[in-house]
Order: sequence, then C-alpha cells, then structure tokens
Amino acid sequence: MIVPYTHVMLLGGVLFLLGMICTLTRRNLIMIILGLEIMLNAAAITFVGAGLHLQQIEGQAIALFILAVAAAEVSVGLALVVCIYRQTGTVDPQCIEGNKCQLKPDQTG
Amino acid sequence: MTNWTLFIPELYSLGAAGVFFLFCLCRPDSRRDYGAAMILSALGLFLTVWSVGFQGSLFEGVYRVDLYSQVFKVLIYCGFFLAVCLCADLSGVDESRHSEFYFLLALCTLAMMLLVSCVHLLAIYIALELSSYSLYVLVYLRRGYQKGLESALKYFIMGAASSALMLFGFALVYGTGQSAYLVDLMRDLPGRINEPVVLIGFILALSGFFFKLAVFPFHFWAPDAYEGAPHQVSAYIATASKVAAIAVLIRIIALSGGQSDRLAWFLIVLSVASMTVGNLAAIAQKDLKRLLAFSSVAHAGYVMIGILSLTALGYASAVFYGMSLLVMKFTCFMVVVKASENGRNISTGDLAGLHYRAPVLALALLLALFGLAGIPPTMGFTAKLLIFTAAMKQGLLWLVIAAMFNVVISLYYYLQILKAAYFIEPEGQPPPIVVSTPLKLAAIAMILLMVAGGVYPGPVIDLAGDMTMGLFP
Repeated sequence: MIVPYTHVMLLGGVLFLLGMICTLTRRNLIMIILGLEIMLNAAAITFVGAGLHLQQIEGQAIALFILAVAAAEVSVGLALVVCIYRQTGTVDPQCIEGNKCQLKPDQTG
Repeated sequence: MTNWTLFIPELYSLGAAGVFFLFCLCRPDSRRDYGAAMILSALGLFLTVWSVGFQGSLFEGVYRVDLYSQVFKVLIYCGFFLAVCLCADLSGVDESRHSEFYFLLALCTLAMMLLVSCVHLLAIYIALELSSYSLYVLVYLRRGYQKGLESALKYFIMGAASSALMLFGFALVYGTGQSAYLVDLMRDLPGRINEPVVLIGFILALSGFFFKLAVFPFHFWAPDAYEGAPHQVSAYIATASKVAAIAVLIRIIALSGGQSDRLAWFLIVLSVASMTVGNLAAIAQKDLKRLLAFSSVAHAGYVMIGILSLTALGYASAVFYGMSLLVMKFTCFMVVVKASENGRNISTGDLAGLHYRAPVLALALLLALFGLAGIPPTMGFTAKLLIFTAAMKQGLLWLVIAAMFNVVISLYYYLQILKAAYFIEPEGQPPPIVVSTPLKLAAIAMILLMVAGGVYPGPVIDLAGDMTMGLFP
C-alpha cells in the first residue's frame, strides 16, 4: 500500500470530527442528518484502510454494509423530518423543542 | 454445515414479525392484533425457554449460541411478552397503526436476540441498528401528544450519533486488533489495551451501548423518549432494551481482559456521574415516566459498578442486576399503564388512593420501589448487595460509599411515590381501576418473583455465574 495506514486513520479521524461538528452546530435537521452520514462514511474509510493494511477483504465488506445501513438510517431520519415538517412547519430543532416559534408552512418557504 | 436448529427462536421471531407485516396490509383491527400478539409472544417465550440448553456456533463463527446468549434471549422475550400484556388498552397509539406497532416491537425483539448472540463487530453493529431503528419509529407512534415528535427526534439524533461513534471505534479496534471476530480480539487486545489508539477505539466502541443503557453523557434522550413514547414502548425500552444493552456491554468489556486501570477509571467516572445525575434530576420530576427515566439513568450507573470491576463475579452480579431491573421496572410501568386514562401521562399525584383503587397493583408498586431503592427483602436488595460485594473485592471502597450516598438520595423520590399511593387521599372521586384477571396474575407473579429474589436468590445467582463463565474461553 502506497499510503501508510496512519494517514488513512488520520483522514478518517478528521472527516469524523468534521461530521461531528456539523451535527452539533447546524440548526437544520437536514444538515444534521448529513453530518451523521459524514461520520458514518469516515468510519467506512477507516475500515477500508484497515482492511488494506491487514490484507483482509473483511474491511471492504464491512464498508459495503455500512453504505446499506446508512441508507436505511437516512430513510428513517428523513421520514421523521417530513412528519415533523408537516406538523410544525419548520426543520429548525430549536423551534421544535418546546414549540417556541410556531410558523405556518408557507412562511418558511 | 449450519445447524439450523440453533437458529429456531430467531426464525420464529422473524415469522412473528412477518405475520404482523401481513396484518399491516389488511384492514386495521386492534382486537385481532392484540390476540395474535399475545399468542405469538407466549409461544415465542416457550420456544426461547426450550432453547436454553443449546450450544453451538453458526455462520462461520459470527453467531454464537451458548448459555449466556440463550438466557438473555429468554429475558428479552419476557420483556416483549410483558410489554404485549400491557397492550390490552393501546389508546396511546392510533387505531390504524396497531399492526405496525406490533410489527416493529417484534422486529426489535428479533434484533435484540441477534444482538446478544453476535460475536463479530459487523454483526453486532447491524443488529444494534436494526433494534434502534424500530425503537425510533415506535417512540414516534404516540398519538395526540405534542412532545412525541420532539422526543422521537432527540432519540433518533442521539442514537444515530452514538452509533456512528461506536462504528468509528469498531474501525479503530479492527485496525489495531487485526480481526473483527471477538474471539480473536480477546486473544490480542488484553496485552495492548493501554496503547492510546486501542484505548480510544475501545472507549468509542462502547458508546453505542452506553446510549442504549442511558449512561451519563449519552442519557439526554432518556427522559424525553420515556415521556413522549406510548407507555408500552417506554416499558419495553426500560426492560428488554436495557437487558440487551447490559448483555452486549459485558461481552465487549470482557474483551479488555480486566487488565486495564485506565479503562476501569474511565468507567468509574461514568458510573458515578450517571448515578449522581440520574438521582438528583429524578428528585425534581413531576411526570412519573420522566422520573422513571432518570431512575434508569441512575440504575445504569449501578450496573456499571458491577461491570467495571472487570471480574467474573462482577459480570455475574451485573447480569443479576439486569434481571431484577426487568422485573421491577416492568412492575412500575404496569402501574403507570393502568393508572393513566386514555394513555395520557400521569404525575406522581395521580396515584393518590391507589391502595384501595387497586390493592394488588399498589402492593406490587410498593415492592418494586423498595427493590429499586435496595431495601430488603426484595430482589433489588440482593442485586445491589452482589454488585457492591464485587466492587469491594476489587478494593473500590469509596466507589461503594458514593453509591450508598446515591441510594439514600434515591430513597427520597421513591418514597414520595409511595406516599402518594398509600397516604394521600385523592381529590374528588377518581374512578376505580379495573384490573383484568390476566394482569392481576402478572402482578402477583411479579410480587412473588421480587420476594423470591430477595429471600432465596441462590439458584438465580448460580445461573448468572454459569452464564458468565462462558465468556472466558
């Protein structure tokens, strides 16, 4: 392998941190779910790197499974977001919490 | 050659989930769904009890069937069966969603049964995700309660984030341990657990299970999810889901080989923090389900004491604690379900006069709360005694003292509930609580179990010991 394993691990770690920051700071449910996806993909990259490093096919197989599970997760999450948007008319988690800002659906655009 | 006999309980659960899936396609009929759920879950319970003696390995060693996993499957199915028992009045869920409700509950049970048997990182991850996704939707199914939305959302985001953390931890463990099989990791990891990458990976890998168990930094979902979910789902989360989390947490922590002081320190900090946070927050709660949620955070801390002693005795006591939690928490939720009209949330004060409105329930509640507080002669006392003994053997005296302080704090709010149930006269004339005969039987069974676990716990302790012996090959 041309790229050493530690570099892959670093890449995975940085990507994971970026995803976490996105999840923690964004004020939009769609972006939060996107952040979760980035975290999962960072883990997948680390798995692929580890598989290459160890010369095992298992790491890549796990990455394929992660893709499928991530798709399922997004579908559950987005279904939840759609239901929430229909009821409250917003995708801002702060508004949903405690119904602080009730908006009509047409006001949010 | 795969021996499919070992897999019968799981196949049965899959079949049960399939039946409810077919019901989803038909016209909604809640009586049919309830009847089918009772029969299927009772049969499944018998099937899991029948399969306790099974031994073996399936699917290239990914799936291990042994005493440890089979007893936990019985406990999880018990949780499912008992949660279904509470569903006679499922008014917290929309009529047309009842089939889906049972379908997701059965699917979640299947996923947890898989979870306790998996000995491969990928299989553990997928089983955990399957059970979590079912629960996210189940929490959302609450009808006519504005907070249901918010709690489902919080549960989903916390759950997805902690499972991503866990997955990244798995990746690090896989890269350093050079295998995804727990058996191989067990050979390799104990010698290297103090290397930074291994330790970080290991701790991250635990976060997914900490989330399930509601241990301190991952507990924020618990009060909202308990409050916003239908009562039966809260009961299920508090019993079956917790038991499965304890099972897999022990399995993963047993990988460390009990050699790491740093890991033990980390676990001690989490344990003390979740006990204290849970108990102090519970004091301020008005809503009974929120109170029970914070009490489960505190109990997660007590369970961690057993686990963090990193010895066979400690693991066995944590298993015993899981069993007693199943019984006690179910009893509390049984009272919540019966005392609430139309599936709305109740506060502590709504229990007023319970002792003449439903004497059996009041007695069961009394014993369950005594057990949760750790007062003899109940199962909860034995469980706490075992856990503290295991910690003392490791020389963790001050940890036990901190835990005892917490037990005293927790007495305050448990006795507050009892005061409401026994000594406060209700305002006006609350309608008497009608307890059906099967539920009365269930309450009496719980009472007997709690007393038997306090007076004569020997056989169960031996069973817990035998179960955890299998973890050390």
